[in-house]
Amino acid sequence: MNVISRGIKNALRSPLRSGAIVLMLAISIGLILSMLVARGSVSAKIDEVKSTAGTSITISPAGVMGFAGGGDALTSAQLTSIKNTPHITSTSASLSDQLSTTDTNLTASLELGNFGARMQRFEGSGSTANGESAPTSTNSTSTRPAPTPRTSVTGTTNPNSVSTNGSDLNITSGVTIDGTSSALIALVGSDLATKNSLTVGSTFTAYTKTITVKGIFKTDNKFQDSGIIMPLATVQTLTDQSGAVTSVVAKVDSSDNVSTTVTSLKSTLGDKADIISQAEQAAASVSSLESIASLALAGVIGATIAGAVIVLLSMIMIVRERRREIGVIKAIGGTNRKVMAQFVTEALTLTIIGSVVGLTLGVLVSGPMTNSLVSNSQSSSQTARAEGPGAGLIRGGFSQINRNITSVTSSITPEIFAVAIGMTLLIAIVGSAVPAWFIARISPAEVLRTE
Amino acid sequence: MLVVKNLTKTFTTASGSVSALENVSLTVETGEFASIIGKSGSGKSTFLSMLGALDIPTSGKIEVDGVDIAKLSANKQTAYRAKKIGFVFQHYNLIPNLSALENVMLALEFGGMPMKKRKARAEQLLTDVGLEPDEQLRKPARLSGGQQQRVSIARAIANHPAIVLADEPTGNLDSETGKKIFDLLHRLSRSEKTTILAVTHDMNIAGKTDRTFKLKDGKIAN
Ligand SMILES: Nc1ncnc2c1ncn2[C@@H]1O[C@H](COP(=O)(O)OP(=O)(O)O)[C@@H](O)[C@H]1O
Ligand SMILES: [Mg+2]
Repeated sequence: MNVISRGIKNALRSPLRSGAIVLMLAISIGLILSMLVARGSVSAKIDEVKSTAGTSITISPAGVMGFAGGGDALTSAQLTSIKNTPHITSTSASLSDQLSTTDTNLTASLELGNFGARMQRFEGSGSTANGESAPTSTNSTSTRPAPTPRTSVTGTTNPNSVSTNGSDLNITSGVTIDGTSSALIALVGSDLATKNSLTVGSTFTAYTKTITVKGIFKTDNKFQDSGIIMPLATVQTLTDQSGAVTSVVAKVDSSDNVSTTVTSLKSTLGDKADIISQAEQAAASVSSLESIASLALAGVIGATIAGAVIVLLSMIMIVRERRREIGVIKAIGGTNRKVMAQFVTEALTLTIIGSVVGLTLGVLVSGPMTNSLVSNSQSSSQTARAEGPGAGLIRGGFSQINRNITSVTSSITPEIFAVAIGMTLLIAIVGSAVPAWFIARISPAEVLRTE
Repeated sequence: MLVVKNLTKTFTTASGSVSALENVSLTVETGEFASIIGKSGSGKSTFLSMLGALDIPTSGKIEVDGVDIAKLSANKQTAYRAKKIGFVFQHYNLIPNLSALENVMLALEFGGMPMKKRKARAEQLLTDVGLEPDEQLRKPARLSGGQQQRVSIARAIANHPAIVLADEPTGNLDSETGKKIFDLLHRLSRSEKTTILAVTHDMNIAGKTDRTFKLKDGKIAN
């Protein structure tokens, strides 16, 4: 029988109370571990998303999203000022248009469907409204032309910018075109090519000109695969919009400079343009993850404090209760050191049992807890984001980011386990230090006092 | 030999200072059995706590075999309590979650006896004070008051102390059991040559000791 075995024996002296202390401790230690796991997993995911976010900035005329919306196209002067903005290494500009059946001999490969028909009906009612003061529902329907499917045309300085997945455009046959030329050449989407039996070298008519097919491309987007890509200058000339662009994608030299570049672009272009960066978008989509990470950190701190307070209060209670016993031990020759060591052993025993139970609990719940934290916050952030039609240029990158975020995996690394054990030790030390001070102050003379 | 000279103890409390002992001087020879009597609050327990180095005197001297214990360092005082002093309390004050045997072994541990020898010595001591082997393994709560006081006497004499200090050792026992406990202490003082100072209310018992000191308002009143 020595100090250590007496301490352990005392820890089990009152099984019900020890059980309650161990249970409370186990819960806070389990919480520490699972919060550490959640934080570790989420932080790793944040770093991953940020590092893969890329360095491109998309600039479009204010109010325009694809073919929808209003406003004026960007001018060549604005394009020049974008190119001259510091940190921008390259730009690719594009101008979008649509070919109706009167503009081309091609048959559109995209079914109009409910959505497309409705879009065109809005255009029709808009044009009648110009001529008539107050169109009634009956005559506006009768004056509308029947909706017809259309083919989209993208004039771009860089055909690769049409790609939806962030990498180069996938050319299935032929070669890509030079975006800086002004020749009557085109890349045709695979769906449109099939519909009109077009192959490399075929020609078709658009805007009354004969255009040669240089290549066929295929993306994972049905809308893109039903469209045509031509050099920017060609589309500008054919549609009589010299110098106009509807979208500019600018590359920044490093990801650290994206936000400053966005800021300076916003100040030069003012409210004439909408500016979106993938990095900012990524930052926005990981902001919910970041709040989980800080929440988890707060959880770790809170649970550690709670655990320390549990041990502290328990030990103070136990010391007060055994005040006389401590006095007796001192009176019969026990040193302060021995009595303290005995109580620290008792606190350690409770903490060790609590941490074994708590760490087991933590291992079991950390996976589900991380998942539920992440998926709850993701579902709320995803429903909040509305996407405009035809924003294929950057949407691919975003859906990539969203897929990344929802696939956060929780894993318990040795480092996290070590930190959790460190926190537990901290609990035991803080929880025993104050009671030890109480012990030192108990006078052995008290045992002779008769209450 | 125990020599006390001009021992004074004053407690400072919120409501002023209380003079518990005033200029107490006395001498007890080695192996003597002395009793201390006096009304409640006369300073008997305070006197014992000074002798046992549980508390420090305000002034005066306590010499045990020529050493002034009031001048010892805190560590030396603890060692003094462990080796030179044995305490017997009115409320027995055994450690509740240790068996009778373990309680005695605890004192042997503090007295510095090697771990291997403790058990045999504790069993011998408990047998000497009249505890059966099965009773020796019981926790205090499962022993009668008289049996608990026997255990605490075994604990007090475990390290062959110079002085045994007993504060109303029979105060919680019926007179029959109290007499047996007193006889036990008496026998030990004879066989072990241990000096015994016992506080008591029982004049019958006090009359049987070698000497009796009377305390009144913190002073010796003979
Ligand atoms: N720790 C203390 N603080 C203040 N006063 C005390 C303390 N201990 C004892 N006293 C006072 O000292 C006097 C003597 O007490 P005590 O020695 O316990 O008497 P007895 O044991 O003879 O009944 C009493 O008046 C008591 O109130
Ligand atoms: Mg008293």
